[in-house]
Amino acid sequence: MNCRCLASLGALALAVGVAAGLMAPQPMAGQAQTAQPRAAASAPAKPWTGKTPEGVPDLQGYWTNNSYTPLQRDPNMTKEFFTKEELAADEKRRAAQQEEQTTPGTTGDVHYDFTQFSLDRSQTRLTGNLRTSMITDPPNGRLPARVGADAGAAAPAAGGGRGAGGAGGRGAAGAAAPAAAAGGGRGQAAAPAGGARGGGGGNATYDQVQNISIGSRCIWSANTVPIMMPPGYNPAYQIAQGPGVVMILIENQHEVRVIPTDNRPHAPSGVKPWLGDSTGHWEGNTLVVETVNYNPRTLTGTFQGASDQLKVTERFTRIDEDSIRYEFTVDDPKTWVQPWKGEMPFVKINGPIFEHACHEGNYGIANTLNAYRQEEKKAAEAAKAAQPAK
Amino acid sequence: MRKLAIVITCFALLAAVPAALAHHAFAQEFDVNKPVTLKGTMKKWDMINPHSWFYLDVKGSDGKVTEWMIEGGSPNTLIRLGVTKYTVEVGTELTVEGYQAKEGTNKAVGRNFILKDGTRLFLSLSGAVPGGAPDTK
Repeated sequence: MNCRCLASLGALALAVGVAAGLMAPQPMAGQAQTAQPRAAASAPAKPWTGKTPEGVPDLQGYWTNNSYTPLQRDPNMTKEFFTKEELAADEKRRAAQQEEQTTPGTTGDVHYDFTQFSLDRSQTRLTGNLRTSMITDPPNGRLPARVGADAGAAAPAAGGGRGAGGAGGRGAAGAAAPAAAAGGGRGQAAAPAGGARGGGGGNATYDQVQNISIGSRCIWSANTVPIMMPPGYNPAYQIAQGPGVVMILIENQHEVRVIPTDNRPHAPSGVKPWLGDSTGHWEGNTLVVETVNYNPRTLTGTFQGASDQLKVTERFTRIDEDSIRYEFTVDDPKTWVQPWKGEMPFVKINGPIFEHACHEGNYGIANTLNAYRQEEKKAAEAAKAAQPAK
Repeated sequence: MRKLAIVITCFALLAAVPAALAHHAFAQEFDVNKPVTLKGTMKKWDMINPHSWFYLDVKGSDGKVTEWMIEGGSPNTLIRLGVTKYTVEVGTELTVEGYQAKEGTNKAVGRNFILKDGTRLFLSLSGAVPGGAPDTK
């Protein structure tokens, strides 16, 4: 509670610091584990055999993927899995990080306190994922080299990536505004170079509504797009099934995925939905979903720099009453030299899903636009005052 | 160039920090140079997503009462933890530390919500603890 260091750092330092692995686990002693324990920490339960009336595996219920597990493994981490004790210690450390107060009077302090509102990750059920990274392939738990990258410059030194920003993301800054105003606040996004404005969180400006990020505009949330990464708060999902279709209702920003399971072909490539175009089928007990045709503004600044060739294949396998194993494969030959894979559990929670009526409470758009007009006015007045008298 | 590329990549990855946490840019909406400490009574609490809005009657030194709108977090998690709009009743005395909106009206983001006995809002009321299990089955 007393650490008041984060907000005193500059935006760039925070950006690099966070990306370099503030969210990543600390180095652990010991040899690499090769055993494959269950992803969730709970004891093995009776294998799941439930079927829907259609005769396919029953995935229905309320779920969460809330976790501190970073997308990429810390380069210093030697283990693929924590022990339960190590995981508990790691979660405790990260929870303490989230509770730290920022420094009054700094940009990073301009936010409400997540802990007070029970919005810190630790205050919702965690999945108990023992993995030290979501990425399972490459085996080092890190993103493969990017196409055209310098030899040896493989994956960027990042610990988090999309959706895993709860603890480490706080305090980052970097939005463009006329008077050096910045994104600020815990969990705020920074502006990447290039790409269209108003994308999934990056490169937003606040001069007009079209340039504000699509997340701020309640159009979309990063955790809704395959890969479904854990959001910082409201990490709740409902899965419902009907003949030939699986629906996933995502609480955070109230997004719905409706996935046909008849293995139908994708829509023409010119059709670019916000969540991409998904089509599914069953392979034994596993729902396999392939998504392509991501909207360019979804890709902008939100998906590890992926290209329009991005294809994500998800695999949902219900393990038992309490858990679903969620696996994903990311294939984008224009961006990475090889496909990469990852995995995380979804575990059961009580319902219901509470409506995330984003637009109704979204006074932020009007306030930020008004603020921008004020800054423009001040800048114009300052420029006028600086002109030599005629 | 390689260093530059890494820095740019870091920014790109940070941009990936989700809208979930960055629903709107606090520092673009509120002014770090306008810290406010408001002592008043709760008049209304709009439990609307993704941001609560508290209405506070604040009495100035001249005795004049002014209404302030204070932004706070999403009510979804609070509801799941059993905190409802009846948990903090209308008329509750609150001190709010925060930052005023850049647009200059009586709006602010509530950095700290402090009850009369000195405790901070919700945390103590919700019973939320690290690893919190109130919403598990």
